[in-house]
Amino acid sequence: MTGDAWWSATKKASLYLVLCIVTLTVCFPLIWALSTSLKPKSEIFATPPTLIPHSTTLENYEALLGGRQQYYQSGGASQAMGPTPAQFFTRWFVNSVIVTLGSTLISIVVSTLAAYSLTRFRYWGRSVIPYFSLLGYMMPSIIFVFPLFLMMVRLELTDNLLSLVFGYVCITLPFCMWLMWAFMRSIPIEIEEAALIDGASRYQVFAQVVLPTALPGIIAASIFSIIVSWNDYLFGRVFINSLDNLTLTVGVMLFFEGTHVDWGLLMAASVLMTVPMAILFMALQRHLVAGFGAGAVKG
Amino acid sequence: MTSNDRTRSRSLLDRRNFLGGAAAAGIGARSLFGASSASAQSTKTGTIRVWGEPGPYGGTAVAAMNEWAQKNAPGLKFEIETIPWDGVYIKLMTDLAARRPPSLISVESPIAMQMMAEGLLLAVDDIADKIGRDRLVEGVKWDYWGSWKGKQYVIPAHHQPHLLLVRMDIVNELGLKDPDTWDWNDLLNAAKTITQKKQNMAGFCMALGRNLCTDYHFAALLHAAGGRMFDASNKFEVAFDSPETVEALTFVKELQPYMPKGAVEYSFLQVVDAHVTGQTAMSFYWGRTLGRAAEEAKPIFEATEAFNHARNPRTSRRSNWNDFQGWCIPAQNNPYIEEVKQALLYQQTSKEWLVKYCHSLMPNVAPTYKDIANSEELKNHPFYKSKPKTVDTYFKSSLANSSSTANELLQGSNPFSGYVHGRSILAQTVQKVVIDNQTPQQAAKWGARELEAIRRENIRLLG
Amino acid sequence: MSRFSFLSSDRAVGLLFIAPFVVTALVFMVYPIAEAIRMAFFNYNPLRPDLVSYAGMSNFEFIFSDPLFWSSFGQGTVWTLLSILFQTVFGVGIALLLHRKLFGMAIFRGMLLFPYIVPTVVIALIWRWIFNPEIGVVNYGLLSVGLIGEPIYWLSTPTMAMASTIMLNVWKYTPFVVICVLARLQSVPLELYDAAKVDGAGAFRRFLDVTLPQLREVLIVVIVFRTIWTFNKFEEIYLLTKGGPGTSTFNLAVYSFEQSMASLRLGVGAATGVVMMIMLMIGSVVYLRVAGFGNEEKEA
Repeated sequence: MTGDAWWSATKKASLYLVLCIVTLTVCFPLIWALSTSLKPKSEIFATPPTLIPHSTTLENYEALLGGRQQYYQSGGASQAMGPTPAQFFTRWFVNSVIVTLGSTLISIVVSTLAAYSLTRFRYWGRSVIPYFSLLGYMMPSIIFVFPLFLMMVRLELTDNLLSLVFGYVCITLPFCMWLMWAFMRSIPIEIEEAALIDGASRYQVFAQVVLPTALPGIIAASIFSIIVSWNDYLFGRVFINSLDNLTLTVGVMLFFEGTHVDWGLLMAASVLMTVPMAILFMALQRHLVAGFGAGAVKG
Repeated sequence: MTSNDRTRSRSLLDRRNFLGGAAAAGIGARSLFGASSASAQSTKTGTIRVWGEPGPYGGTAVAAMNEWAQKNAPGLKFEIETIPWDGVYIKLMTDLAARRPPSLISVESPIAMQMMAEGLLLAVDDIADKIGRDRLVEGVKWDYWGSWKGKQYVIPAHHQPHLLLVRMDIVNELGLKDPDTWDWNDLLNAAKTITQKKQNMAGFCMALGRNLCTDYHFAALLHAAGGRMFDASNKFEVAFDSPETVEALTFVKELQPYMPKGAVEYSFLQVVDAHVTGQTAMSFYWGRTLGRAAEEAKPIFEATEAFNHARNPRTSRRSNWNDFQGWCIPAQNNPYIEEVKQALLYQQTSKEWLVKYCHSLMPNVAPTYKDIANSEELKNHPFYKSKPKTVDTYFKSSLANSSSTANELLQGSNPFSGYVHGRSILAQTVQKVVIDNQTPQQAAKWGARELEAIRRENIRLLG
Repeated sequence: MSRFSFLSSDRAVGLLFIAPFVVTALVFMVYPIAEAIRMAFFNYNPLRPDLVSYAGMSNFEFIFSDPLFWSSFGQGTVWTLLSILFQTVFGVGIALLLHRKLFGMAIFRGMLLFPYIVPTVVIALIWRWIFNPEIGVVNYGLLSVGLIGEPIYWLSTPTMAMASTIMLNVWKYTPFVVICVLARLQSVPLELYDAAKVDGAGAFRRFLDVTLPQLREVLIVVIVFRTIWTFNKFEEIYLLTKGGPGTSTFNLAVYSFEQSMASLRLGVGAATGVVMMIMLMIGSVVYLRVAGFGNEEKEA
């Protein structure tokens, strides 16, 4: 059987080889971004380009987190004045976190309550609502953005992070609803019935029995909601007017100054924008796959 | 918070403490600063948003305004928001529609004139009077920045023409004529010669992408040929479907083989890049190419000179597209009108700040007032020593050939041009020829139809 | 306690729980859509909200007679179909590759799914950087191994720009297909393979005869969903090419955005949105038919 063993080892080795090639190809853009972000200006444009920087530097990250002046100085004759986009980076980061968490919280609470209600009670419209949600979650966001914008104008909420929270609820709620509904449906209701018979109230049942069982679904829905909100460019671009209230996605695009692009800075910003998502992803990857199992998911 | 901000707010704090102390000691703040300010001190607080182009000069102007605020409105802080060129229209639409305009705007003249005709701006004749109506440099009028139906709506910030930037080392090496004497054929030949003789270098570069930069670059050729989009003397009827337009489009098509291949996608940034990195020997651009070259590529800076655009051989015109860029004040939903007027006046009447403004990006932003343009302080800049002729061309001698899409052939303010640029009509017309391989005649017809639509939809602006 | 009484008791609680959803949905979903439909019948310049006027069908007449609308529709369709084709092929391929019990598989899986969570803005920036014709690493690599003789202008010719946006889309969303297929593969009974092995079927045959039929259902669902979303995508195109060069990568979402913003014709933008919505309804009906949703409802 040595022939077979040799055969299976070769097979295994070639499988690993294929996997490595595919993975490297897929991850190359990210690796290159990381590498660029760690290079000093002189090395970024060097030929031949270097994958591992000869001289690693954190200057791009320091510039973003510390707020460095970005403009060239016109032959060194005078100092540039006024804030430059890089100086807002930390502020935009905080804004992004706020609107992402805010909208996710609302979407999850609303959709969990609704999904419970839809699967545990009988009333008119109960079977229509999930399909209505499904339809909503296939709507292009370009349809929502201007009507919502005009609504925010009337509510005097433009240039306010709250407008983005509402905007993101609009695009995340439908799929959270659909996902939670699919998940709740798969939870057997016998336990709840037993608890009710034992004298628990509906609220107790919901809090103590249903919520813990639904946790994987809630986590999956939260991840999707966070990804979508963190990713958004369109709503941020339209709803926000002042530099102070921008989110990361829109703000970082301002780094394209018109006549001067600092690629090191841009790549560092890209890395920093991806890190929170990466952490989330690594911690909750398992639930992501489970969530996809429960219902198809927006991308 | 940046160190800059920190020092600013610290000095602001100190100022406030000082004022508090002064008030406690029974001395009115008014009397302390009475000499420098004509009006009562403003007690408003908050941030005053100011729009500016990408570049340091907006920040310099705002620094001047903050100096005014320290003395006269200690609770206020001016803050510059730089708007990337290709984002101006989105920003304009969302901010004005959201009823949150900035309190002060520095923007290209086509947009200023569009807003002016829409009735969105405040008339500023009072400021113009105080600045002095006779201060303007030779060869320009207040109209160029923006007046409508007898009222002034825009205060001059600077003027900035795009010119022909030429690498003289290459021209001399190949024995080409003095670019100052060129007509279109000479330019074409030079581009061709350089492309053929120099390895890895395009002869010429202009923007050809669907963007504002292409609009501006092409407009110079259109105007040199004597063409225009609208006829200012005839109720702005569309005059684009003309032999002149076809001539200009044909010329672009002829130049295209000698441009970098990516030019069909180029906007402001890439044209500067192409010149500063030595990928092209000539380009159309404003002064900031030189500023960046001085910073990043000294030899290219030293070899580059700017010239008025080549003559059209038929008309002998050499048109540039000159942005008479000014400050305008949104009239609605603007809580800081009085403060902005005062601060603007402060900046416009301070020689020191106006010189700093021009120096912040040499030679991109040209002085608008005689006293500044002729001052010794302005000449106290290294570029004046290394590139006297080029600086002078940008600042003064280009003015005789000025034209703009907002004021075509200087025949009158055009309220439609903002819409033209918002939709990139000129750029799209050019792209019909350079990408879609349509004939210049077809493209001119297409452009004329789009311009008709703009005129039809916005005819109220003439009303 | 019977099932029926559980479902029908405490109705007030049920209504209370659904109330926030109903309110939120009415305000943030139903209202904007109704408003979008209404706007489609008006001339609406956002700079002059005081000048709104009824337009009848003229916005629709405008878009249907606008060649750019039709080319946006055509380009959007090409973009969608090619993206979906590659996503499906690569997605199934990678899922099959990952569907093995091997040491370190979790790491491979994690890295191959990672692009899905990278923000679109970030990908667009990275793409512009690595595909830069003069200083980009991709051209450098291709040139130095001799695959190409001169730099490729990735974003400057209509064909290459379309290819670049498709690449971006495929790169970002293939993991979605991988996850769905992987989830399904894990539930394919192994006996089926054993039986096929006994019958002497080779690996490729086994894939055709056993795996593919099992994947059929999930693939249809994924393809329909992805087609609808891809067709509606805005950021993936706008951030990379702004619809250029020329208008060669416009799709309907970009067209709608440009009409609303750059041209200040909110009515025309809204009318485009309404047309997209109608196409989407048709797509959804297909989806519901194909996926057979509603069947389980009868059992309940």
